[in-house]
Amino acid sequence: MALKDISLDFSENGIQGLFGANGAGKTTLMRIISTLLRPHSGTISVMGFDPQEEPEEVKKYLGLVGDKTLLYDELSGIENLRFYSKLYGLHRDFFETQVEELSQRFAIKTWLEEPVKNLSTGLKKRLDIVRSLIHNPMLLLLDEPFSGLDKDTTEDFWDYLNEHRNTRTTIVTTHNLALGANLCDEFVTLRKGVVINQGPISQFDQTL
Amino acid sequence: MTSGLGAALAIAKKDIIIQLRKKFEAFSMFLFALIAVLAYSFALVSQGSIPADVGSAMLWVIIFFMGMFGFAPIFLSESETGTLRGLATAPIPAWAVYVGKVIYGFVLMGIVEVFLVPIISILFGFSFLNDIPLTVAVLVVGTLDLSAVGSMASALVMPSEAKATVFPLVYFPTATSGLILLIEITKIIVLGPGVVPIMLLFEILLAHLIAMLTLSASVFHFALSP
Repeated sequence: MALKDISLDFSENGIQGLFGANGAGKTTLMRIISTLLRPHSGTISVMGFDPQEEPEEVKKYLGLVGDKTLLYDELSGIENLRFYSKLYGLHRDFFETQVEELSQRFAIKTWLEEPVKNLSTGLKKRLDIVRSLIHNPMLLLLDEPFSGLDKDTTEDFWDYLNEHRNTRTTIVTTHNLALGANLCDEFVTLRKGVVINQGPISQFDQTL
Repeated sequence: MTSGLGAALAIAKKDIIIQLRKKFEAFSMFLFALIAVLAYSFALVSQGSIPADVGSAMLWVIIFFMGMFGFAPIFLSESETGTLRGLATAPIPAWAVYVGKVIYGFVLMGIVEVFLVPIISILFGFSFLNDIPLTVAVLVVGTLDLSAVGSMASALVMPSEAKATVFPLVYFPTATSGLILLIEITKIIVLGPGVVPIMLLFEILLAHLIAMLTLSASVFHFALSP
């Protein structure tokens, strides 16, 4: 069992850090929040909805970035974004505004017509970040989002997260504790499936 | 939020575009089918044709095996590249993913069948022209049925490490009942239709398709869960 007797309450808005070594249960918790895993026992509420009973309601508000991109190699960047916009039922005007804004923001506008398989790892990551934000999610789940990111993309993404700190709830897992400590407002430290520490980031002790 | 059917069509369209860009997968299905037809025609054709009952069986056996090429990887690539997570976390019902894959499988098989059926008709020396509307209806319903079974089988074997071994073990038993009906109906069409027995068999085939679609769609969320 990856998580034991967890009781957590993530604040609305702000950036919450989920820290812990490999096998601590960070990804399992993220999967439960994102409706991908059903907990063996206990209850969970995301944006006021039960992910098991009303998964589609929860998913509307979710944006996901993981270590692997969710992009189709054979499609171009814009085709990927258009496909996901259809799954999220986005209005065409809203979609185009979002693409314009986010592609400029993450410097991929000139690469949107290119098949994803031709893009570098960094550009794929940028495109995947845009994909995760295309429906303007209220809850952003970032599972090791900075792994494999170049310095520029990390900084751009960091700035973006900072700007939206007060309007969006972001939960981020990272091995990079220094980075996490700088970025997050609050933190939770997990070890072997158990919460060993949590609170405002000012109380975060990297030695734990 | 988009409708389930809209999402299914978007998924099918995406898969068809990807398949057309890859080209070689659809072509390899066609090539396999063509080689199988040629091999059977060398082995079985005597005096310009083969017995209609054998030919009808061969047609659907070839389509069945062709389906193993087409359906087995339907979820495999999504699972391996991680894009399945994108579908699983999108605000769409799980059945939309399943129906999207069924439509994609149907189109993929349909494209190959458009070329395959006339070739079979010529090389095996028998005609489906006795009842064209019924032939088209049987091909459509039969291909949809195989696609419905194949897509579910492909999803079910995703967690297995031995997908290539497990897929036929799931696909074959679930497709067999539909396959037998398809062979029987096609045999009657080729031999010369007797409307009453065909319609009864066709209704059973249709019921099989509806049962496979509804049952699979209603439990598909279990297949999408890791």
